[in-house]
Amino acid sequence: MRVHVRLFAASVLALCVPASAQWLKYKTPGIPRTADGRPELTAAAPKTADGKPDLSGIWRGDPGGYGVNVAADLKPSEIQPWAEKLYKQRLEDMGKDSPSYRCLPGIGPYVIFGMFKILQTPNAMGFLSEFNGSRQVLTDGRPLPEDPNPTWQGYSVGHWEGDTFVVESAGFNDQTWLDIGHPHSEELRVTERFHRKDFGHMDVKMTFSDPKIYARPFSIDVELELVPDTELLEYVCNENEQSLKHFVITEEDRKQSRTNVKVAPEILSKYAGVYEMQNPEDPKGKPISIWILTEGDQLLTQMNGAGPKIPLAAQSATVFSLLGGTVIFATDDKGAVTHFTMQAVEGDFKVPRKGDLPK
Amino acid sequence: MKTIAVLIVAASIAPAQWLDFPTPGVPRLADGKPNLTAPAPKTADGKPDLSGIWVTKAGYTGNIARDLKPGELSFQPWASEVYKHRQETQGKDDPQAYCVLSGVPREHVVPYPFKILNTNGMIVILYEALHSYRQIYMDGRKLPKDPNPTWMGYSIGRWEGDTLVVDSAGFVDNNWLDNGGHMGTEAMKLTERFHRRDYGHIDLQITVDDPKAYTKPWTVKLEFTATPDTDLIEYVCDENEKDLVHLVGR
Repeated sequence: MRVHVRLFAASVLALCVPASAQWLKYKTPGIPRTADGRPELTAAAPKTADGKPDLSGIWRGDPGGYGVNVAADLKPSEIQPWAEKLYKQRLEDMGKDSPSYRCLPGIGPYVIFGMFKILQTPNAMGFLSEFNGSRQVLTDGRPLPEDPNPTWQGYSVGHWEGDTFVVESAGFNDQTWLDIGHPHSEELRVTERFHRKDFGHMDVKMTFSDPKIYARPFSIDVELELVPDTELLEYVCNENEQSLKHFVITEEDRKQSRTNVKVAPEILSKYAGVYEMQNPEDPKGKPISIWILTEGDQLLTQMNGAGPKIPLAAQSATVFSLLGGTVIFATDDKGAVTHFTMQAVEGDFKVPRKGDLPK
Repeated sequence: MKTIAVLIVAASIAPAQWLDFPTPGVPRLADGKPNLTAPAPKTADGKPDLSGIWVTKAGYTGNIARDLKPGELSFQPWASEVYKHRQETQGKDDPQAYCVLSGVPREHVVPYPFKILNTNGMIVILYEALHSYRQIYMDGRKLPKDPNPTWMGYSIGRWEGDTLVVDSAGFVDNNWLDNGGHMGTEAMKLTERFHRRDYGHIDLQITVDDPKAYTKPWTVKLEFTATPDTDLIEYVCDENEKDLVHLVGR
């Protein structure tokens, strides 16, 4: 799951898809266009011959902060303590045991995170993913299996409720991670409701139910955008794999890790504030607002002051880490915080502090 | 290899009702069994509908060219050496052993089922093996001139009467066309002719034109049989992987 390595900067940077020639620039047939040839993404949603909405197309979805914490809307008391502990442990281990790092797939519903293509056919809705193979949602009337052989992707059946395509999935194994560390059991069930609002936009409500671990069902909303005039790229996880050998966190490292680094709340509170990051892919666009907050002795980050808060783990008084990157705070000669540097695989990005958090 | 393949296929059939669900729209005999010699179905536009789950005729996994007469397949000298090496080392360098995609046309000689989906502007094949898929564009686009090489290649299709003709190019340079190690290079161009002769059978003719590896094009014939009333099962190559350490070859 690519989503595991996403963080607030990565979700910005992930848009860098290597360009290659005319195959990827071929104009998608059948897209309504303006007079100058641009796709008209607010045109009406298309229908198939049987009058149902046609969900076909290449789409891109992003779970936003929920990719880091899918259960962000639950209270800690609504999650089994062992599961919450495991989540924190995986966070501290930088996800070294993540199945995605071993090229194992995520649950079927997660194909919508990233670029994917929907194929609408009479007996199945096919999903082609760049990173997660293919997924089938069978619409031939069969029920979900009662005692299935557990699988990574699970089994999915779909039906229409008015203009909404409802997908129910079960039969997952208990090996995948729902985000960067939340576990699930074999009893997990996922319901997805796809609603194509117009030509270029589709809402998905994804609801998770796993009473063995989570006290109540919880949902995330994902907005899908149609990506016209391009194609999926081949993604072969095992090709030229060089990463695994670097995942070497040992018990000894763990002892020395951030669990033992305590930074005084008065230092942390200096970092709190609103920061603005320029999307390197869109240098003239509106900067992304990143909030840094504190709760007790925990530093957190939040996109635009909304959605899940993502914990930052202290490596020292100025260096903090989160999956996939490092955040280093900088001060001026008077000790005032001026910016942080975001270090990610894609490079170093300076993110200036713009002001205090709103009261 | 054939015996192993048969065993693997037999072992993979297990869980109950999901895999036993009767496929809707299948012509049936009086006893309810699928009538595989019924006429081939058509799509709304009158073209043959290749949809369904298919399995290739056994026997070609190790050697896609096994039916060819001596001289019909003629290696370039270097390619002959590579093929000999792959045979002698028992395929220890086979990319599939590293869970890299089988690629095309190898997906059509391995004993795993695949599903053909017929959809707006394209024909898509979902392969059980390695959880991969292949897209065949029917929207009139041309093959890319200088493509990024891929395992599955780029494919465009057109109808010649009732035959789907698929042209493909843009393959990686170290392709294996079968488990035995017939190679394909970046110069490889494939022409595949799919003909669904009745409900239960597709004849496939593949022409491999790869002047870098072979002195002339060669053509093989395969046959697919429809397998209704079941479905693909999940194939996760990286799960519980224990083989690699044993692939020592010579």
